[in-house]
Formats: sequence, structure tokens, C-alpha cells
Amino acid sequence: MSQRVFITGFGIITSIGKNTAENLASLLHRRCGFGELNVLDTIHSKTLPACEIKLFNQELCELAGVPNGKGYTRTSLLGLIALKEAIQSASLSPAEVRDAGLLSGTTTGGIREFERHFYELMDPLQKGDFAQFADTANPGEHGERMADAVGIKKYIATLSTACSSSANSIMQGAQLIKHGKLDRAICGGTEALSRFTLNGFNSLMIVDPNHCRPFDNTRKGLNLGEGAAFLVLESERAVIEKRKTPLAELRGYGNANDAFHQTASSPEGTGAYNAMNLAMAMANLAPGQIDYINAHGTATENNDLSEGFGIQKLFGSDVPLFSSTKPYTGHTLAAAGSIEAVYCLLGLQHRVVWPNINFHEQMPELSVSPVRELKQEVDLKNVLSNSFGFGGNTSSILIGLA
Amino acid sequence: MNQTIEELTQELRQELIKQLNLEDMIPADFDENTPLFGEGLGLDSIDSLELVVLLDRNYGIKLKDPKEGRQVFHSIRTMAEYIQKNRAQV
Amino acid sequence: MAGKAQYFIQGIGMISPQKTFDNQMFLEEITTYDQNVLTAVVPDFKAYINPIQLRRLSRMLRVGLASATICLRDAGIEHPDGIITATGYGFLDETEKFLREMLEMKEKQLTPTHFMQGTYNALAGLEAVMIKCMGYNNTYVSKGFAFENALQDAMMRLDEHQAAHYLVGSYDEAAPVQFIASIREHHFKAEPIVNLNLFDTTTKGTIQGEGAAFFDLTGTRHENTWCELLDVAMVYRPETKDHLAASLADFLKANNISLEEVDVWLNGITGDAVRDVILKELEHSDLKAIPQARYKHLCGDYCTVTSFALWLGASVLKKQSIPEVVKASAFETPKEIKTVLSVSHYMNRNYAFMLMQRA
Repeated sequence: MSQRVFITGFGIITSIGKNTAENLASLLHRRCGFGELNVLDTIHSKTLPACEIKLFNQELCELAGVPNGKGYTRTSLLGLIALKEAIQSASLSPAEVRDAGLLSGTTTGGIREFERHFYELMDPLQKGDFAQFADTANPGEHGERMADAVGIKKYIATLSTACSSSANSIMQGAQLIKHGKLDRAICGGTEALSRFTLNGFNSLMIVDPNHCRPFDNTRKGLNLGEGAAFLVLESERAVIEKRKTPLAELRGYGNANDAFHQTASSPEGTGAYNAMNLAMAMANLAPGQIDYINAHGTATENNDLSEGFGIQKLFGSDVPLFSSTKPYTGHTLAAAGSIEAVYCLLGLQHRVVWPNINFHEQMPELSVSPVRELKQEVDLKNVLSNSFGFGGNTSSILIGLA
Repeated sequence: MNQTIEELTQELRQELIKQLNLEDMIPADFDENTPLFGEGLGLDSIDSLELVVLLDRNYGIKLKDPKEGRQVFHSIRTMAEYIQKNRAQV
Repeated sequence: MAGKAQYFIQGIGMISPQKTFDNQMFLEEITTYDQNVLTAVVPDFKAYINPIQLRRLSRMLRVGLASATICLRDAGIEHPDGIITATGYGFLDETEKFLREMLEMKEKQLTPTHFMQGTYNALAGLEAVMIKCMGYNNTYVSKGFAFENALQDAMMRLDEHQAAHYLVGSYDEAAPVQFIASIREHHFKAEPIVNLNLFDTTTKGTIQGEGAAFFDLTGTRHENTWCELLDVAMVYRPETKDHLAASLADFLKANNISLEEVDVWLNGITGDAVRDVILKELEHSDLKAIPQARYKHLCGDYCTVTSFALWLGASVLKKQSIPEVVKASAFETPKEIKTVLSVSHYMNRNYAFMLMQRA
């Protein structure tokens, strides 16, 4: 059970790039994904900025290498694009893929297609192309879709813990490896913009009509985004056997619950503190050994305050560099944990710390502030990535150089 | 049609009970001045969002900032006064 | 930690289309249904949830929270170390409400309650708030594997902390939206049947069920223990009966159990003439000689229905009896029931095994 868990590949698609190289270039050049919505059809397209991938599903099918019109939801397509890049980047053989586990996080599965065809689907006598989306109200549908498309047989799990979903799928993949149940787990999450989610967050009055400003005193809420990212985790045994050079090590993780309110974090950031603390304890690292935190930093009044206090409580006067990358991608909900894990990996690989764009005014409640400008040539060894969600879910993963 | 503040508080009371499913939990001494949140009726932040929509749907009043709601939704009385002051004049 | 880790069920709260919420009873009163939709027989929620919370909760959240409370009281614990839930379609009725409102109001003037309550982890989150459980919290939504994922998660955590208690639960509701949307793929039978006749039918489709269940899973034996859960395994889309049989043989071997030692097996067939084919073949070959019990005529079919099988197996082992209503054919209940095996499928895609033993 002392198996170490290594990261040997990853793949990503977001509003700032349809693969790793494009995401890296955008991050380096401060290119953000905001804009008017014109792929999703909604009355909020001009009033609520969002980070949308400017590709229609037909184009996504091509990128994903699957036929159009066969019931692939946007959630599945985004997931597949990232999943295939991850498999390729880790050079997994077809046999290794078959015996791998797939753990995918989602908030609402294929609700985008379901909402679009709702009235037709609710009338069993109607016939048409929409029928391919009959089961898209099931969140697990996308997991099996993706597994079938790439040939994964051994283990399938779909997780849904709101905005921490993909952080939890990474954790669970690692746990399955540590316990010898799997040699390889491909873990992440995928999220497509939908009217359902956009209106849901809007009804909670936490969507900013301007670009989001994490940790800024004038922050007014989040902007939504879409995307997907998957990481390939491999056991120490598998890495040695194949003589692979891992990209990084998944050194720790923590999952806790704030147990405060269904949609709000505790003002003290207890859950955030516990999740980070658990991750560091597992990695056997002291606060001084953490070089960077990719914060959850949604730019809601509640999250940033709670998370900020959690960080200050844990690190005291020695808070590491931290930033939220949500102003680049928007809040990609279920995919945020894995997308930000990829950004951490890119940071480690290229020795950079990503800036917290749109930060101007210090929050008076906090004594620390995020990184504003891109920092290069940074000596990064261990980084934390936080993901929190409705239902009090708080998760943190710790990635270190291998 | 002009509604008196008494009529409005009566109407609001009914609406609140319906929208927030309060049937089983209205205390005997509940009146128009009982605080809706905290020590009073014990409503929470989600209820206040429900009330924001109620103002919009029933009275055409839009609260842009949820924080504004904290004063407006103090009690049925404060809500009625706010509605009288701000409702779209027909 | 010496030897192989063990897992015990110390408490259960089961709310299903039968009167199962009362742990003193064991399928003595049977409810029949004749419209292919089986809905939960529920207790008085006021006995389990305080009125302030109760007022806003959807029916299924009430069912879920009540079953968690029943489980904790049964287990005699107040503070589990974590909560892990599983569901297929989640709170689909709530999702439908928000969706319809959004479509009808054309995305204007929407309230958040149904949106919030439609999230899949709403039950795990609310239960955590209710009992102030700040430990591990996770939710699986992997169709017919969700409950098995959740059990395995808890088992791995117990390997690390034997004394811990995990509240492992599942919920799924008989939502009209699911029923209607799945008519095209014949998940449910087109002609109305009486649930108790489910296994006599020869048509495509099954009947829709629902339920919420919580289990207190812990690594140590206790005077309250229902049974030991030996192991859980999943098989995704086996191509043939032989494939499934080979997986079952591996599973039993890994647990040092031979088929002859199994006193009764729980057959998860659904009454679907097409989708039951592989499991029926297994029933008539490898598992032919073993006394068999069935349960989906009592609770219907839903993604996390194996939680009903776990409850059934645990009850058989604890009470040392097998109600006639679950026996596939007349057989004499063994003097001592030591080992129960569950073999099930969801939509002929998600196959699962569970092994339970008298504690």
C-alpha cells in the first residue's frame, strides 16, 4: 500500500486552447477566454460573460475523432478530446488503456442536450435525431461513452461533488492505485456550458456581469467556463516496469467537508484548511515546503474570503505564492480541479507561476494578496491545487516534482 | 389601484407562507414586525434569494445587489414599505 | 495491521417500495403495484428531520436524510468519519422543476431552490451539515456502478483506519422524466404488470423502482453487526455468459470461497426478456444448484438497486431467515445461513458481485 503514484501524461481543452500547447501559450501571454456566448443559445449571451470554446459540436466531433450524430454530448466530446490527448501524451498501449480505470467528474452530465430537446424527449411519439440524446439526463452516461470510445474496460467511475468533482476523481484514481486495484487510472472531469447551469448560478446571484476578479475587494461573483482535462496516473511499479520518466508525482490529497451550509463556505475556511492540511500530511510536508497554491478562487464574496482565511490559518505569516487562474478559463465547475492540476503541472515543468489576472484592490479582511504578474524562473517543487464545491465539499491535491 | 399597507402586509404574509413552505412553522406570536431572519423566523440566505424573485415577479421590483435585501427583508413590514415606495406605478 | 482487512455492516436505514424502514420487520407486509412504477413506503419524516430543514426539502431528500438517520440510530453512532453517496439520476424531479421553469420563464426570474436540490451531492452535503460531519465526503454517479464505487471507496478507507465508520448510501427516485425519456429504449415495460408477477413476463423492459439506503460500514465487529461484507466487484459489459462466469470465478477465488459454500444467491434479474439473457444463462448453468432469491419484483429497477440486495443479504444473515416472497422457487431454508452472494446487472451493461457472510 506504499505504492507511489506518478503523473505520466495529461490532456486539456479550455476556452484558451484546444490542447496543452495552446493552453500554455495563452497562459504565458495573458490571453483570457471571456466573450459573448455564441455557441450556446441563451438570452444571457450578451449580459453574462462566459469562457466558451468557440467550436460547434460538429467540429468537436472531428477533434475527438468520433462520428457526428451518434449521441455524443458536448460534455462527452470535450472530455474525449482531453482524454485522447492524455492517453497519447502518456504513450499508453491499447492493452494498457483497456486495463486502466476511467474516473470522470461532472456536475450535470449531458444536461445541455437534454434541456435543448426536453419537450421532444418528453413526447414519446415524436421521432427524430434528438432521440440519440434520450439518456443524457444521466450523469454517468458521459463516463461510459468516453470509456467505450477509447476502449477502457477495467474500472469506470463518475463522480459528482459539484465544483470539486475532478479533484475527487484524481484522488480516487490515486487511491485505487495505492491499494493495488489498478496500475493506471485516467482521471479528470469535463464540463460543457448549459443554460441550466448558467441560470442556476445566476439565480444564486453569484455571477458577475463583468470579468471575475478573484481575491479582489470589488469582486462580485464568478463567470462560468467550459472545458475538460484528464491526467494519467500510474503506479510506481508500472513506471519502473516501463522505464518511464514521470512528469510529476501525486504526493498527497485531502478531502473534507465544511459542514456549514448547502451552498456557502464557512467564514473561517475550516473545510479549506482541513483539505490542504490533509494533503500536506499525506505528503509529509510542512507549510514551508509548499511553493505555490492554485487557489479555488472563484471570485464570489464567500469563497475567496473563506479560502483566504483557510490559507492564512494554515500558513501563518509564511503564505506561499498563490493565484486563481479562473480569470483565464472561467469557472469550469466539475472540470476545474483537473484543468487547474494541469496548470500546476505546466507551472512545474516550465518553472512559472501564473498570475491572478484582474486583481487590483486588496481585500481588507486578508493580509495576503495573490501573484499579479507572471513569475518566471521560480524554483517550484511542491504545489497545492484547491477545489471546493456546493455541499461543503473541499478538496486539495498536492503535486510535486518526481 | 392603491393598496393600503395593511392589505399589502396581509398579502405578503400569505405569499411568504406559500413560497417558503412555512405552514408548519409559523409561531403564534408571528406578526408583521417579527424579524424574518436570524432569531426571528430563522430564514436563511436561500430564502432571501427566493424573496428577491418574489419582489420581481409580483411587484416588478428588481434588487440588483443581494446585500440590499438584508434591510428590505428584515420583516414583513419593511418589505411592504419598500414595495410601496418602489413598485412600478400603474 | 495484521491479516486481511474486514468490513462489517453495523447499521442500516433502508427506505424502499416495501416497508423496510422498520428494522424490526423483514418483508412481512408486501405492497403490490400495478402500473410499473414502484415508489417508496415512507416513515413520518418529523421523527427524523427537524421542521425548519424539512420545509424546503424535496421528497427524495427527505427520504434520503431519514434513511441516514435510521442507519445511524441503528448503528448506535452519531459521528461517522465520512459520508459517501451514490446515485444514478440524482434528484431528477428537482432537476425537472428547474428545467421546466427555466424553459417556461424563458430564463428569467428563477429561484435557486430546485437548482440547488437537484445537485447530485445535495444529500451527502446536507447530511454532513445535519450531523456536522467534517470528514471525507464524496458522491458517485456512475449509473449501475455508483453504489459499488461508493462501497469500494469506503472499504479502501477502512483498510487504512479499521476503527473508522463510513456512512455509505444510495438514492434514486422513480422520476417521471426518466420513465418517459426511456420509453424509446424500452427500459420499462410497455404493458402494465403486477410487480409480483415480474419474473413471469416474457416482454422487453422492467419496472421502475426507487429507494434510499444507508449503511454504516466499519472495520470492526460489534454486537449490532448485521453481517460482514467480504468483497465487491464490477464487470463492465461482459460479452458472453462465459466472460461473466469467469469473472465470477475469479471473484470467488480471490475471497477463498467456493460456489458450494454459497447458501443462497441473490439474482438481480429484472424481468426484461432481452437484457436478462446473460444473467439467465448463468442462472441455468453455473449457479443452477444454489438456492436462489430474487428482489426486483419488490423494489423495481434503478441504478443503485444493489443497495437493496445488500440490505436483503444483510437481513437474511442477521435474521437467519429467507422470506418466501424472495425465494425463486420453493426450497428449505438452510439451518445456518453463512454466505450470501449477489449477482446483478443494470441495463445489461453494469454487472456487479457482492459477497456477504454471517458475522
